[in-house]
Formats: sequence, structure tokens, C-alpha cells
Amino acid sequence: MTDDRSSPGQKALGHGGLALVLALVLIPYVYVIVTAFKPAEEIYDATWLPQRISFDAWIEVFEVNRFHLYLWNSLVAGAGSAALAILIAVPGAYIFARKEFRFREPFFYMIVGTLIFPFILLIVPITITWIRIGLFDTFIGLWLAFQIFAVPYSMWILRGYFAGLPKNLEEAAMVYGCTQFQAFYRVMLPLAKPVIVSVLFLAFLQGWSDFLFSNMLTTGDGPRTASVAIYASTAGGERVDWQVLMVMTLLTGVPPVVLYMLAQKHLAKTFAAT
Amino acid sequence: MHGTASGIEVRNLRKTFGGGTVVACDDVNLDIGSGELLVLLGPSGCGKTTTLRCIAGLENPDNDDAIWVRGRNMTRLAPRDRNLAFVFQDTALFPNLTVRRNISFGLDMRGKLSRAEIEARVTEAARLLRIEGLLDRYPRQLSGGQGQRVGLGRAIVMEPDAFLLDEPLAALDAALRVEMRTEIKLIQRKLATTMIFVTHDQEEALTIGDKIAVMKDGRVQQVDSPQDIYRRPSNLFVATFIGSPPINQFRCELRQEGGEVRLVSPIFTLSLPAELARRFAAADRGLILGLRPEFVEIGREAGGIEGVVRLTELLGSRTLVLVDAGGTEIRVLVQGEPGVREGDRVRLVLQLARGFYFDLDGRSLL
Ligand SMILES: Nc1ncnc2c1ncn2[C@@H]1O[C@H](COP(=O)(O)OP(=O)(O)O)[C@@H](O)[C@H]1O
Ligand SMILES: [Mg+2]
Repeated sequence: MTDDRSSPGQKALGHGGLALVLALVLIPYVYVIVTAFKPAEEIYDATWLPQRISFDAWIEVFEVNRFHLYLWNSLVAGAGSAALAILIAVPGAYIFARKEFRFREPFFYMIVGTLIFPFILLIVPITITWIRIGLFDTFIGLWLAFQIFAVPYSMWILRGYFAGLPKNLEEAAMVYGCTQFQAFYRVMLPLAKPVIVSVLFLAFLQGWSDFLFSNMLTTGDGPRTASVAIYASTAGGERVDWQVLMVMTLLTGVPPVVLYMLAQKHLAKTFAAT
Repeated sequence: MHGTASGIEVRNLRKTFGGGTVVACDDVNLDIGSGELLVLLGPSGCGKTTTLRCIAGLENPDNDDAIWVRGRNMTRLAPRDRNLAFVFQDTALFPNLTVRRNISFGLDMRGKLSRAEIEARVTEAARLLRIEGLLDRYPRQLSGGQGQRVGLGRAIVMEPDAFLLDEPLAALDAALRVEMRTEIKLIQRKLATTMIFVTHDQEEALTIGDKIAVMKDGRVQQVDSPQDIYRRPSNLFVATFIGSPPINQFRCELRQEGGEVRLVSPIFTLSLPAELARRFAAADRGLILGLRPEFVEIGREAGGIEGVVRLTELLGSRTLVLVDAGGTEIRVLVQGEPGVREGDRVRLVLQLARGFYFDLDGRSLL
């Protein structure tokens, strides 16, 4: 599109194509937003815009469905999983990036290689184990289950970054008064900030949006997350209050978008090369 | 008791990598007096950086009693406990800190001085290095020379027992390198702090060192004043590595003939001066004559070694003349105008009394 030599016709075609793609992507979202503000009686009307803006569905979502509790659960699940992933992956990635030891490379690729394994297959054994050791229907159980995925990709991203940082910087820190640990957290960690923010974002997103693990590992009495609550509210698809469903969808979908915008600068730095 | 009272002593330092397969330093011995500026000189890969890193504690020597500072064995101490300041070849400034915070980093970590005292030291160092105007910049906003000044500032404020500089000027352009080496020496003199300065540049070493330690293949070849390194190299390697343009080498036979000692090579047969002849009085043997280009003369009279001028190169106040003498290239350094041109036939006179004499293993015979 930046080619100045394209004719007006080509340009129009290009812009038209762009508009079409944009519309295809955006229409579902617009539909969600519009529906969330429609009164119940207008739901099956063919009109785009509601006759009357209604907040009934919003009130119902909080008062009847008590959806804020599930949002809170999603937040705790996502944030806890992200924190745990960082706590495990940062030292792990650092050791794999900096220390020499036997079988370092095979060992590392074994860890990263687990990403290829279809982790869906692990759900049943994990559920059984969690029930047996008392982690079923707990946040800790959720957090640990998420790590199966979060730790390998976090380590993958972080190790690449740590390996690329000049070793001299740590050595300078150690000459000028730091212990090895201080050199790491005073010099290496601040430099790794964009990557750490990115990894936190990805791990949070995974925990926040997860459906499969949360659905299997939690119940309505425990830390059921928002995405599972949305599904449950339709009673498995038998009863659908569209406007309520759309409000819940909005409430669950917006936080990651906001987070993305906040983290965007760091994400761009981390993934610039790809 | 090992070690001089306040200097640095390196004793039988050995450092290997890769489970002993790569020997970076082998039996390195150095004795650096307090306030002295020692230059570690040698070609790339000879173990200079490794030696310096062992002194700083960034590498772990193979032997337990290799590094002594102020009479204390520091071999296994952490870098931060040695009170030595390292200046890195690529500056290794902290990119996320301003110049000011980079310079104060060590004092901030040490935490013994008040904020005001730290600021005073930073200001003082910045003035000495003429970087007062850069204090609020970030390292990415500095030129190469400025970066090295900041690296020096970070070292100076520590008031360490010694400065360890690893080729600090290698990345700078020639003019700046010459300017900064003088400046570094002046600062070292002013602070009277021991300094070890690593370089592969023999000219740099000769100009700034109080003493020079020449290294090759992980071993120290000679430690001496610049004058002695230049005038009395202890082996052929030192003789060839030091000096520019490099020395002429002649493989010769020593022969006793009719009461005289003669030096015989494919292109000349010369009588040794009486004093040298006495030293080499032993039986016939092979040796290597090393002669600096300034000790070869372009003669007028008959005699001497015949040759043809191949090339003349102007080196400022002096001229290098390359002469082809029967297939052997001889470098001649002439003050001012050479008085000869390419293609001229010349006769060369070797000042044998100024020559270096080595056995066939390269050890000095003098
Ligand atoms: N970390 C290391 N691992 C393996 N070999 C090394 C390491 N550091 C240095 N060496 C080797 O030790 C020798 C000396 O290196 P170095 O001290 O860097 O030389 P210089 O600074 O004189 O150029 C070289 O052969 C180099 O390859
Ligand atoms: Mg080096």
C-alpha cells in the first residue's frame, strides 16, 4: 500500500479490501456491544441499533449472576499464574542462559519441547491427581496447572533475552560492589523489564481466558472463573439470555484489551525481531 | 610473607579453560609496586585479558595463591571484596543508568558515604575527565571516547588500590587514542594509584608504561622498563614484537677464522667487533642477528651489502627504505630525506655492535 506508483484504481481496491477485512473483524464486537445495551424484548428484532438503551442486563449480571465474583476469580487465577510463572521462569531462564552444566541444551529443549505436547491430554490425569492431593477447586490447583504451559514459553522467551545481554554488565556490577545476586536483580532485571512485562502479560492472559482447566478443576463453590461462569449461565446452551451473555462477554473481554494497550510498548520491544 | 606492601603480586598464575585443554595463562609472575603503571603487552589471544580478569576476580585461577594485593592473598575473594576497579574494553556501562549514576554506582553499592560526599566525588572525577557536561546523559548518547571516560570515572571515584584497564582505547580512532593515553597516564600520575594497562599496541605500551610485561602464549616473556624492553629484549619474540618498523632478522653462522670471529650469512660475511667476539668465543654455531632498521646505514664507500632500493615510505621525520639484498629484504630507517630513490643500487652497513643476538631457539645471547 505504500507504493506510490499504484494507480488510483489500485488504491481504491486496496482501501476497499482493507475496509472489508476491518468490517469482518469488527462486526462481531460491535454486535456484542450493541446487544449488551438492548432491552430483552428487542433481542430478536432485526434492527441494528436498540430503540431504547437498557441497562437491565448489566444490573442482572451483577445482582443475579454475581458476575463480579467470577471476574475476581479470573483476576486472581491470571495474576497468580503470571506471578508464579515469573518466579519460576526468571531464575530458570537465567541459569539456562548463563551457567554451564552437563546436558544443558537437551534439558532446556526438553522443557520447551513440552509445549508441543497436546496438554489437553493432561487434563484428566491432573484432575484426578488434584482431587487426590486436595488441590481440586483451589486457586493453587489452578495456578499450578497453568504452569504446565506458562513456564516453558516464559523460559523460552526469557532465556533468549538473558543470553543476549552482555556478560560484561554483570561483571561490572560485581566489580563495583554487587554480589552475583545483586548484579542480577539490580542490573539484569531492570534491563529485562520489557520481556518480563511481556511474559507477565501472556501468562496472565492465558490464566484469565482459560476455559478447559478452569472448567475441569473448579466448581461453582470454588474459584470458578468468568469464562466458565459464562458457559454455566447458559446451562450448557439450553437457555440463552443474549443481552446478559453479551454483557458478561464484554466484561471478560475488555480487561485483556486494556492490559494489552498498557503493555504494548514492552510487547513491541520483546517481539520486534519476529 | 608474599607480596609487596601495597602493590599487586601475581605468583605462578595458571588459568585453563575447557577442563584444562586451553591454557590461557601459564606460570605468570608479576610484581607491581604501589603507584606503578604496568602495561601488559602481547598479541591477541596471548592471555592478557585472562590475567587481568584473574586479578580482578572475574576468573578463578587454577592455583590457590596466585593473586596478592597489599600482601593479602585475594585469589578466592569475590570481585567486590578486592577494592580493585576494572575498566572494560567495551565500557560495559549500565545502559539504564545516567552517566552520573554509572559513576556513583560503586559508591552507592558500598553505602558508606553520604549522598553529598558521593556527589562531591562524582563531580571531582567528572572535572578531572572533562565530562561535567555529560552527567545527565545515558550511555547510548555518548561517543566511544566519552564512554571510556565515564568508565574511568566509575573506577576513579572508588579510590581503589589499583586500576585494571583492559584495552580501553582499542575501539577509538588513532588521534583520540594518542590523546587519551597521555591523559590516562597524567591521571594515573596525579592520583598515584597502581595501574595495570592491557594493550596489544607496542607503541602505546612504550609511551605510557613505567614497566612493560610482554606476554606470548600465556607466558610472560620479559618484564622491564620500556627502555630496557626496547634496547635489551630477552628473546627474539620481544625483539620482533616491539618497535616499528620491526627489526631485521638474519640467520647466521658463527665461524672462528684466523683469530677473528666471523658472522656468515648467505648475503654477507662480517667480522664481529672485538667485544662481541669475546662473548661468543665458543665453537662454531648458528645464531640469529636482530637489527633495528635505524641501525642499518646506507653507505657511500665500497664494501657493505649490495642491494637495490625497492620502496621508500615517508614516516614523518624519518623515511623507511626497503632494500632487496640478494633476495633478502632489509629495512633501513633514515633520518629526514633518504637521498636514494626506488631502483638505486646501494651498499648497506650493519652496526653489529647495536645488534641483538639470539640462539636458534630465540633466547638472547647477550
Ligand atoms: N571463557 C573462555 N573459555 C575458553 N577459552 C577462553 C576463555 N577466555 C579466554 N580463552 C582463551 O584463552 C586465551 C587467552 O585469551 P585472552 O586472555 O582473552 O587473550 P588476550 O586478552 O591477550 O587477547 C585465548 O586462547 C582464548 O581463546
Ligand atoms: Mg583481550
